[in-house]
Amino acid sequence: MSSALKLDNVYYKYNKDLVLKNINLEIKKSSFFVLLGLNGAGKSTIFALITRLLSLQEGSISINGFNLKDYQKALKNIGIVFQEPTLDLDLTVKQNLYYYGSMQGLSFKQTMNSIQSELDKLELREKLDVTVRDLNGGHRRRVEILRALINDPKLLLLDEATVGLDVKARFDILNYIRDIIKERNISVLWITHLFDEVEANDDIAIIKNGRIIENGVMNEIMTKYEKDSLPELFKDLTK
Amino acid sequence: MKHLYYCALGIIYKELLRFIKQKSRFFSALVRPLLWLFIFSVGFKMALGLAIIPPYETYITYETYIVPGLIGMIMLFNGMQSSLTMLFDREMGSMKILLSSHINRNYLLFCKMLATSIVSTIQAVTFLIIAYFYGVQMEILGYILAIPVILFTSIILNAIALFISSVIKQLENFATVMNFVIFPMFFLSSALYPLWKIKDSSILLYTISSYNPFTYIVEFIRFTLYLKFNLTDFLTIIFIFALSLTLAFVGYKSKTTIAKKKK
Repeated sequence: MSSALKLDNVYYKYNKDLVLKNINLEIKKSSFFVLLGLNGAGKSTIFALITRLLSLQEGSISINGFNLKDYQKALKNIGIVFQEPTLDLDLTVKQNLYYYGSMQGLSFKQTMNSIQSELDKLELREKLDVTVRDLNGGHRRRVEILRALINDPKLLLLDEATVGLDVKARFDILNYIRDIIKERNISVLWITHLFDEVEANDDIAIIKNGRIIENGVMNEIMTKYEKDSLPELFKDLTK
Repeated sequence: MKHLYYCALGIIYKELLRFIKQKSRFFSALVRPLLWLFIFSVGFKMALGLAIIPPYETYITYETYIVPGLIGMIMLFNGMQSSLTMLFDREMGSMKILLSSHINRNYLLFCKMLATSIVSTIQAVTFLIIAYFYGVQMEILGYILAIPVILFTSIILNAIALFISSVIKQLENFATVMNFVIFPMFFLSSALYPLWKIKDSSILLYTISSYNPFTYIVEFIRFTLYLKFNLTDFLTIIFIFALSLTLAFVGYKSKTTIAKKKK
């Protein structure tokens, strides 16, 4: 069975600086995978390579069994939530969703049908005709998550999706994402620098200075290093 | 193929929505050429004498001469405005939606250019209607044929603008590029005065103007409005179209600026 996402020997050089060094990652189907690292560790560069915002220089990336070189197939079944807000502030929620749906080759009707089941869960049904500028940060993030589900993805990529939100909004979003893994049978790559978003059974990779320094199931890594908490482990690994 | 159609429809829909919501953009795009038509041309026509040159078959007023150039002005400024929007989108992040789609990136960029060109065409047609009531009138068939020509040539200017936006690293640099691209492109062309007039004053400026793609665009529109066809100009326009599209596509092929800015 092919994995949801696989990175093999990925290197990335910016000018003379090697910003990613021999990155190897594999995300199993229907799993929640956390990529944890400090700012500037290389998380967003990995994200940009997977989403083709940057060109792959060395190594290979495959998504749902398709090599990224065949991007029309590889990117077809992924949903993306970028770190920066990517909604058009002057358009309504519905108009933003339709625009994204069209980027996936869907009609307005297909777009709206695809998100019906999630509208209530994300408490967005009443907000469909509201201009994005008038939404708070939490709702904007929910719209971006809802938008990422339009094309019924098999892999969901979220880059620091909870940054700037209060604790309740952060965990509402995180819990929703964890729930839909089972409901929709999808895999999630959750990129973060926040320790409290990681759970004991999560698959995790810790990145430092462009290199994966540890990779595995969170509680197994903790046992291996005989640590009681993730911040303690992280501090030890990245010192 | 249906997905490509929906994709184009979505991009055009968004551009039109933005256009409708930003009414000031529409009026400011019209005010500039109207100032030239109503005010500047009054002074210029005293200073400039116009001989009979193709496509005109009789003496014409200066206002009549500059109308095609002012249409070009609308398209040029609108293209650059769109380019600025794309640069803003890229800096703010929403451009990433377009660039990370599984649909062919060149096709998406072409749709984006087409959408902006539709907006430019609406503005140009509005200007032509105002000019008509001001007294600059052509044959109806000329107006009808000019619409697809304006749309087509506007894509060229949008492609050039797109290419420029792909090579600019920071939003702050855009104003400099505007001064170094838009104004030379506009003034070193046949938009405001015929090339022979420029030749009388400076051979160097005449040579530069002769190679300026904007000159060919303005002349193509001018000839079409007067139901004339020049094969050489047409072939040149086709060549410029292919070249500008290639530049725009190459400019956005392997984007690295997003990460570069973070370093």
